[in-house]
Amino acid sequence: MRRTVAALLGAVLIGASAGGCKDFLNEEDVAQDPNNPTKATRDQLLISAQTALFGLQESGVAQTACMWMQQCAGTGGRFVEQRGTNYQRLTSDYNNDFSQLYIGAGLVDLRKIQANADAAGDKVYVGVAKVLEAFLIGFGADAWGNIPYSEAAGDNASPKFDNQLEVYAALQTLLSSAITDLDGAGNGPGAFDLVYGGDKAKWKAAAYTLKARYYMHTAEGPTRGTFVAEAYQNAITAATSGIESAEGDFRAFHGPATSERNIWYQFFTASGFGNDLVAGARLVDLMKARNDPRLSAYFLPNELGDYGGLDVNTSTPANQISALNLEPEYRQPLLTWAENQLILAEAKFQTGGGAAAAEPHVNAVRQAVGLAPLAVGEVTLQSIMEEKYVALFQNVEAWSDYRRTCFPVLDPAGAAAEIPGRVYYGQAEENANPNTPTVAEQDAANGGRNPNDPSACTP
Amino acid sequence: MNRMLFTAATSLVLVTASAAAQQQATITGRVSSDAGVALPAATVFIESLGIGTQTGNDGRYSLIIPAARVTGQRVRLSARLIGFRADTAQVVLSPGNITHNFVLATNPLRLGEVVVTGAGTATQTEKLGSVRNVVEAEQIQKSNEPNVVQALAAKAPNVEVTESSGEPGASSYIRMRGARTILGSTQPLFVVDGVPIDNSSYSTTNFNPTDGLTAGEIEGTAQMNRAIDLNPSDIESIEILKGPAAGAIYGARAGQGVVLITTKKGKAGTAKYGFQSAVSFDNVSKDYPLQRSFAQGINGANPTTTCTPGNGACFRSWGLPVNGPTYDHATEAFDTGNTFDNTFTVSGGTERTTFYGSASFLKDNGPFVGPNNEFQRASARINGSQRLSDRLELRINGAYADTRGHFTQRGNNTNGLLLGLLRTPPNFNNNPYLDPATGQHRSYRFPEPQAGDEAADRGFSNPLFELNVPENTSTVGRVFGNLGLDYSALSWLRFNYTLGADYSNDERLEGAPLDGTGPTAGGRVTEGTIVNFSLDHNLTGTAEWRANDNLAGSVTLGQNLNVRNNRQFSVVGRGLVAPQPYRLANTINRDLPIDVQTNIHNESYFGQATVDIANQLYLTGAIRNDGSSTFGEDNQRAWFPKASAAWTFTSYLPQQRWVTYGKLRAAYGEAGVEPLAYLTSNLYTGTVLLAGISQGTGLSPSQGGFGGLYSAITKGAEDLKPERTKETEIGFDVGLLRDKADFSFTWYDGISQDVIFLTPLSPSSGYYRQAQNAAKLQNRGLEMSLNLRPITRTNYGWDVGLNWAQNKSETLELRGVDFIRLDPNNNPPFGIVQKGQPVGVLQGTGWAKCGVSPDVVGTTNIADACAGAPRGAVYLNAAGFPILDPTERIIGDPNPDWTGSIRTGFHYKTLGISALFDLRHGGQMSDGTRGALRSYGTHKDTESRATCVTQAGVLTCTGNEKSWGTSNWYPGPVVGPGVDPATGKGRAVPIGENWWRVNGASDNCVFSGAREACVEDAGYTKLREVSLTWNVDPRLVRRVIGVENMELRFAGRNLFTWTKYGGYDPETNLGGAIQGTRGIDYFNMPQTRSFVFSVNLTK
Repeated sequence: MRRTVAALLGAVLIGASAGGCKDFLNEEDVAQDPNNPTKATRDQLLISAQTALFGLQESGVAQTACMWMQQCAGTGGRFVEQRGTNYQRLTSDYNNDFSQLYIGAGLVDLRKIQANADAAGDKVYVGVAKVLEAFLIGFGADAWGNIPYSEAAGDNASPKFDNQLEVYAALQTLLSSAITDLDGAGNGPGAFDLVYGGDKAKWKAAAYTLKARYYMHTAEGPTRGTFVAEAYQNAITAATSGIESAEGDFRAFHGPATSERNIWYQFFTASGFGNDLVAGARLVDLMKARNDPRLSAYFLPNELGDYGGLDVNTSTPANQISALNLEPEYRQPLLTWAENQLILAEAKFQTGGGAAAAEPHVNAVRQAVGLAPLAVGEVTLQSIMEEKYVALFQNVEAWSDYRRTCFPVLDPAGAAAEIPGRVYYGQAEENANPNTPTVAEQDAANGGRNPNDPSACTP
Repeated sequence: MNRMLFTAATSLVLVTASAAAQQQATITGRVSSDAGVALPAATVFIESLGIGTQTGNDGRYSLIIPAARVTGQRVRLSARLIGFRADTAQVVLSPGNITHNFVLATNPLRLGEVVVTGAGTATQTEKLGSVRNVVEAEQIQKSNEPNVVQALAAKAPNVEVTESSGEPGASSYIRMRGARTILGSTQPLFVVDGVPIDNSSYSTTNFNPTDGLTAGEIEGTAQMNRAIDLNPSDIESIEILKGPAAGAIYGARAGQGVVLITTKKGKAGTAKYGFQSAVSFDNVSKDYPLQRSFAQGINGANPTTTCTPGNGACFRSWGLPVNGPTYDHATEAFDTGNTFDNTFTVSGGTERTTFYGSASFLKDNGPFVGPNNEFQRASARINGSQRLSDRLELRINGAYADTRGHFTQRGNNTNGLLLGLLRTPPNFNNNPYLDPATGQHRSYRFPEPQAGDEAADRGFSNPLFELNVPENTSTVGRVFGNLGLDYSALSWLRFNYTLGADYSNDERLEGAPLDGTGPTAGGRVTEGTIVNFSLDHNLTGTAEWRANDNLAGSVTLGQNLNVRNNRQFSVVGRGLVAPQPYRLANTINRDLPIDVQTNIHNESYFGQATVDIANQLYLTGAIRNDGSSTFGEDNQRAWFPKASAAWTFTSYLPQQRWVTYGKLRAAYGEAGVEPLAYLTSNLYTGTVLLAGISQGTGLSPSQGGFGGLYSAITKGAEDLKPERTKETEIGFDVGLLRDKADFSFTWYDGISQDVIFLTPLSPSSGYYRQAQNAAKLQNRGLEMSLNLRPITRTNYGWDVGLNWAQNKSETLELRGVDFIRLDPNNNPPFGIVQKGQPVGVLQGTGWAKCGVSPDVVGTTNIADACAGAPRGAVYLNAAGFPILDPTERIIGDPNPDWTGSIRTGFHYKTLGISALFDLRHGGQMSDGTRGALRSYGTHKDTESRATCVTQAGVLTCTGNEKSWGTSNWYPGPVVGPGVDPATGKGRAVPIGENWWRVNGASDNCVFSGAREACVEDAGYTKLREVSLTWNVDPRLVRRVIGVENMELRFAGRNLFTWTKYGGYDPETNLGGAIQGTRGIDYFNMPQTRSFVFSVNLTK
């Protein structure tokens, strides 16, 4: 009997010890990764999202645009040369850039920030995140044209590609609601705002300038040299509420720490390919001709003590080529008062105001950098666009301006008939998303350009 | 429980007290074989009383039964010895002397032997429904391997063992019945005395992701596999459960099989002492074929200035014929290594207490010159048991090991030993490795460093410098063991409880000197620790029942809880302040630390029922329910069933003349592989952002003093479940010709479904990848064993054993992708998984070939030339050379076609000789070493070379002409404009620097050329083990040195390898025991052969 009891006791023990371990599989340190957080605050996400946007606008696509716009030039290694002079593009080239639009610190996290801030009733915060989303996705639409947006970063494993013009339209709506939100309740991100330190008026102004920029992107008419007046009108309306002074410039944040440095600077010092990117002859020559005081800010003197750039079609002696003038902590201007002014200048010039309407804006920009004002007669579409070309050094917007107006006049490298109007989708997207157009399809559609760019700028 | 212990303690006291009485019974006798030979070390016991002893060398035993327990009762007295059929006699216990002699029949089929089947269950050989593969202590002993995994080589069919190199302490990889997982380990679970132990490997280089352009496993140093902490001399036997049909009782950890190790125990009787001492000498088994005719240089000319690392003329040996002395780089880094291995054991016990203790020290001074190849292990083990009462037994097993290794940099690594050694031009003297003037590291690319060059890159390290100056160590302290209780509650019910623990702390150091090479220039110190600790709780209750003589069975219920923790912590320091010591504190800058922890909990329940029908049909059914913290929340528990049947058909049929024993068996089981930890969580990370990575060091998400986080690019897989292999196994075992032969045949088919891999996601969905149960693999094959005992006489005997096995692996399904790489960071060729192909096929570039390449290769249209040509015909361009097809394709398969072994032994009186051959047919290796050395012009293949000179900037070569498609130069069909219409073969072309270094389609393969050209057959036949033993006459030994037994053994290990493989050895792998990718040789360390002399004394 005693033994039977002991035996039963043993059996019960098995059951008892099982019951005692109810949370054995779900204890905090086993169910959750102890190495990485499983939660993040909207402030933490916002810091990353801003940084990703800065990095994106200073790396791959921006360098390519700088070369293709001949503000910079590739030399030496094939790494840069192929992309700068022969316009060779690979799907692997912009894979990281394309992915960054959507993955962590991209759209997926901007949406989390919005949801989180919305739940907390901080409309200002929501507005800031929406402006960042519009800036990020607009950058994607500028470079890749049709991109996933309406179904992106959601439940759909294979989001469809939206037409570029629909994306721009959606971004206008988004920016409008961002402006409304910025007037709403809440404290906003405060010091976690690396751009404006929580100044919501500046965010609103930036939102308006961004709206103006995207209206401009839809201004190219169906044939070369024609323009869409409505787009210009909308741009004028938006830019009128846009960035009011250089204090309101949207600039990237950078610091002295290794992982805070300006990406252009990092490329030159830490990529191993830094010497492959130098000053472009087109910009240097233009600035020299204008006696532009920004020359020394943009470039370093060459070995002869002068400034010079590499011409993609003639080889410039090495000692005549300037290097780019780069500082690790340089806060790259991404959206500026100058751009806002020159948007007004171009739009007013094109919508009947002519030189007289454009002149104050052009000269405001010239005056700000210490250049003599232009006479009204000197204000032409070309001079406005050249003014913008110089002002938007290292800014991808110069490429959009060129695609729309074909100014400044550029001689495509080598045997190429035109400068490419877009880059290819990333390899990772191509591999996993069956909706991704193939390289052949991308090349075939609209002459390899985006929907907002019906005509090529052939010389 | 308290009451139980109290009862136990009381009964112990009673036993001790009554033992003093004088009316005891003494049973004596002799145990001998049916051939009349005395059998030492046989166990004689009375199970019902828990009393037993062992026979001495003369086969005699003596059992004393205390008077208090002698009541004139009838008891069963049994004698048992492995290899013989146990015998039982009825004895009436009465005070005084009783005599009983046993004659034991030999039992080559091991019938009736207890087979440990895992998780506290056991059965008998004939009841087992799956194939049994057991490795005995003697076989492990004879292998002379310090690493228990390596000792399993060629011991059982379909147990594939690959030693990563002959370096002391280098890991061995073991795989059974093919790869059944992609992301997880393809190696089996190791269980020692019922407790799972850690057998992982970790590369110190993985502590340094900053310099790790490639995966750490393919560079850095050798890594140990942690089962090396186990002293093979402590092992009693190993049961190998190859597939789920056998191992389902281990559920989600048994998908790749289970290796059950049982350590030695003491037996009642007088204490036995053993001393085993072995010394072995080992050397590199082959001299690498190098040319010694042409000097350092390029374009047919020697360097014109003193070499510096940046001087391209200094890399290679494409200079003029050597004018002056040459040096033997194939041998200068190697000498004869030696190993001393001493083990002392003591065991014994009483009928209530047994103990086994061992202490051992092994030191292996490897076969390279210098101090950086050494392995040592000091270990101690104590296994004890105490019968607390007639019903309760306490067991305690524990071992401590102090394992240390000193390693040399290897593999794909500019600091690597062989990379620098084999690339050294024949006219460069690597001695001295320090510049006499400055005392700095000098290498062939930087022979005369000047003052101020201390921290300059050396190009490639001088191999002799690598062998002497840097320090790469792994220092491990490990303790593992268990505490167990066996409680026989009722005559039909018993409980077994085991609490096991395994703890190891592995301290790593990689100290690269100031004048190091590549990323280590300026000095670099990596310090890190890997701490592993686990606990395992296993409780089982087993009830046995017997309805009548023809119907019996058992039911087992059990619970298992398992906790595993792993922590890796490390820091890399850069720039040494003083040249020594290699400590972090002596460095100028430090990288961010690595601090990774993994905690896994498993909670499982299992049950097993057996039914024995008419003593000939044995049915087993089992089921395990596993819960794991690594499973997704919605799939936190998983069932793993198993069923088997064994039918001894010879019991049913009338007595056969030829077939003396026969068993048919069939088994089905499911087992799995648990997901890696934390794949189920959606995580945030603070690592460098993706954007801008190729543009510099990148941006961290934390900026301006504010912490930033972002969503990890791997999406959490909330519904992840364990991988599951469903395996069916059918076979038979027969004893033939009155047990003069036995044959075992097994067919199995295992489908592994829900196999996890990181499925790529569309980045526009917000994530890059996600672990998904999205692959399906199949492994099926045959296994056969034939053992012959043609001669079994008292004084002499001869036996032969043959094993043969085949495993066919195929990827049945791979959702969402065309193929995936097993180890994403490797250099090509890549081991991949692709639908319709075996797991691990090699993918890389090849020559443009008809039917294999696209119609247009680059700008060349090969379709017209290929019309009507056989598949695989090589396209030759107008110059007569092949062209490169840059499209990656499958170029090789490292999986062998079949494997086998041949064992034979002959003994005459006290002399024995045995040999073991290991066979592997097929399977391929990418020999990147050869490819690189062809490009470098140091390989023997390049000794006959065209004369090349630069004329007007163009390399022009004459002589050494070869034609593609001829028997001495890439035979096989050729097509294209390069075919000579007269011969149908390729045009004769000069083969020299133009081909091996310059041509983009070259068979230098690892650099610019066709990877395919390096793939070689890696089949082999190895003489794994040969040994000659002599049991010195016991009378002589006793008289002269006072011990009972002395065995002398002279043995050899890996003495000969017959292979077509051109590199050091076809048994090697760059990724060691870590990587899933097999079949890669890239400056892998060589294999060794050893001569062993050992003395084994017992008293």
